[in-house]
Amino acid sequence: MTETVRAFDLADAPMARSRTDGWRWVRDAGEVFQAANGTWMLTSPVAVQYAHRNPDLFSSAKAFDQLGSPVTLIPIAIDPPDHARYRRVLDPMLAPKVINVMDEALRAQARELILAFADRGECDIVDDLARLYPTQVFLTVFGLPLADRDQFIRWAETIIENSGQTLEDLSPELMENALALFAYLQTCIADKRANPGDDMLSRILSIDGDEAWTEEEVLGLCFLFVLAGLDTVTAMIGFMMHELARDPALRRRVIADNSLVQPMIEEVLRLEPPAPMTPRVTTREVEVCGVTIPADSLVMLCLGTVNRDTATFPQADSVDLDQADKGHRAFGGGNHRCLGSHLARRELRIIAEEFHKLIPDYEIAAGLEPEIAWPSGTFHLKHLPIVFAKAATR
Amino acid sequence: MRVSIDTDRCSGHGRCYVTAPGVFSDDDAGYGQVVGDGSVSDTQLDSVEQAIAACPELAITLERP
Repeated sequence: MTETVRAFDLADAPMARSRTDGWRWVRDAGEVFQAANGTWMLTSPVAVQYAHRNPDLFSSAKAFDQLGSPVTLIPIAIDPPDHARYRRVLDPMLAPKVINVMDEALRAQARELILAFADRGECDIVDDLARLYPTQVFLTVFGLPLADRDQFIRWAETIIENSGQTLEDLSPELMENALALFAYLQTCIADKRANPGDDMLSRILSIDGDEAWTEEEVLGLCFLFVLAGLDTVTAMIGFMMHELARDPALRRRVIADNSLVQPMIEEVLRLEPPAPMTPRVTTREVEVCGVTIPADSLVMLCLGTVNRDTATFPQADSVDLDQADKGHRAFGGGNHRCLGSHLARRELRIIAEEFHKLIPDYEIAAGLEPEIAWPSGTFHLKHLPIVFAKAATR
Repeated sequence: MRVSIDTDRCSGHGRCYVTAPGVFSDDDAGYGQVVGDGSVSDTQLDSVEQAIAACPELAITLERP
């Protein structure tokens, strides 16, 4: 059986205002189907799980080769068996035990950012907090100077805005900023080789012998962090604060009972995954849920629809703190499960807890209905202006 | 009752040791591991069942007598 929905154009999905409407529209098109542009969509939990469990059939390397990057992204653009070699090194560097050690330092930085606007009575969550914090965390984890934050954000945002083109069509803005970022990182790498610190970059550079990383591999890892570890957390801070701002009852429950912070975060991750479609390319003809997909097809694993599967999640389209964790896929799955997932969860937790210590009551500025940029491969609120009672900051 | 993790399926989401911390713990890479021999008491059963549901990879099995 070949189920092909030729008329399907993802850009038509009513996604900007409501992911509930948007994902329902996508899911209603079918479980496994080909869109008008030739891309195949896997939208059900079973279909996506099949792809996650069979990385030999669904290549991430081939998908990222097509997307075009000035450097091979480590480790997402690597397939088994080499992929495991990178993850064995990287997973322990971003494990909860390691993040626990950094918690207080990361918390202090969040507090400082929030304090900067706490006495103003208003802020834009995106511009004043969500765009800044993930880059500070990256610089901290990699042992780079926080003073470089704003320059780093300019490079990263331009690279992200201009990425996603094909290899033949890399934009001049992308190349210019990528080269500037590479030059900066090469200087940092030289500094770390000369004066190693207690940070992730120094630890990677200290690996010697047969396992030693080349400079290109180190740059590939840094570039992946820039592409996948900054704007995704920016997006999640925006989505989380949006949910808390528009639902005072939810916010009050979370503030009153700290054990509900993590379930709240899981629910927002489930509903608003910032990278909701992950690409793969089939290595040969493959049958998924009775549908035959030819070899060398671009396939999107649609995590956004899986996370709203009504058979798995009884309250599929709303935050429900009493709905026990049923295994959402915001961080993907299988061998490419998001490398930074533990760090991302901690960043969200720190932001929620520290924000509420200083600003427990807030609401979305009047007359605004936050939207995401659409169509887009990654989802984020463009702005989230909120108002609140001015906090006494001293 | 005894619980086990299929390490081929586990990809380190870390939901088991958050959901049932007495029964699972995190290893140095952030992957879940069974505490002790994986024996589950009646009082732990609820949280273990929640952990099984929370695992996105369906990697946890509970053997009942």
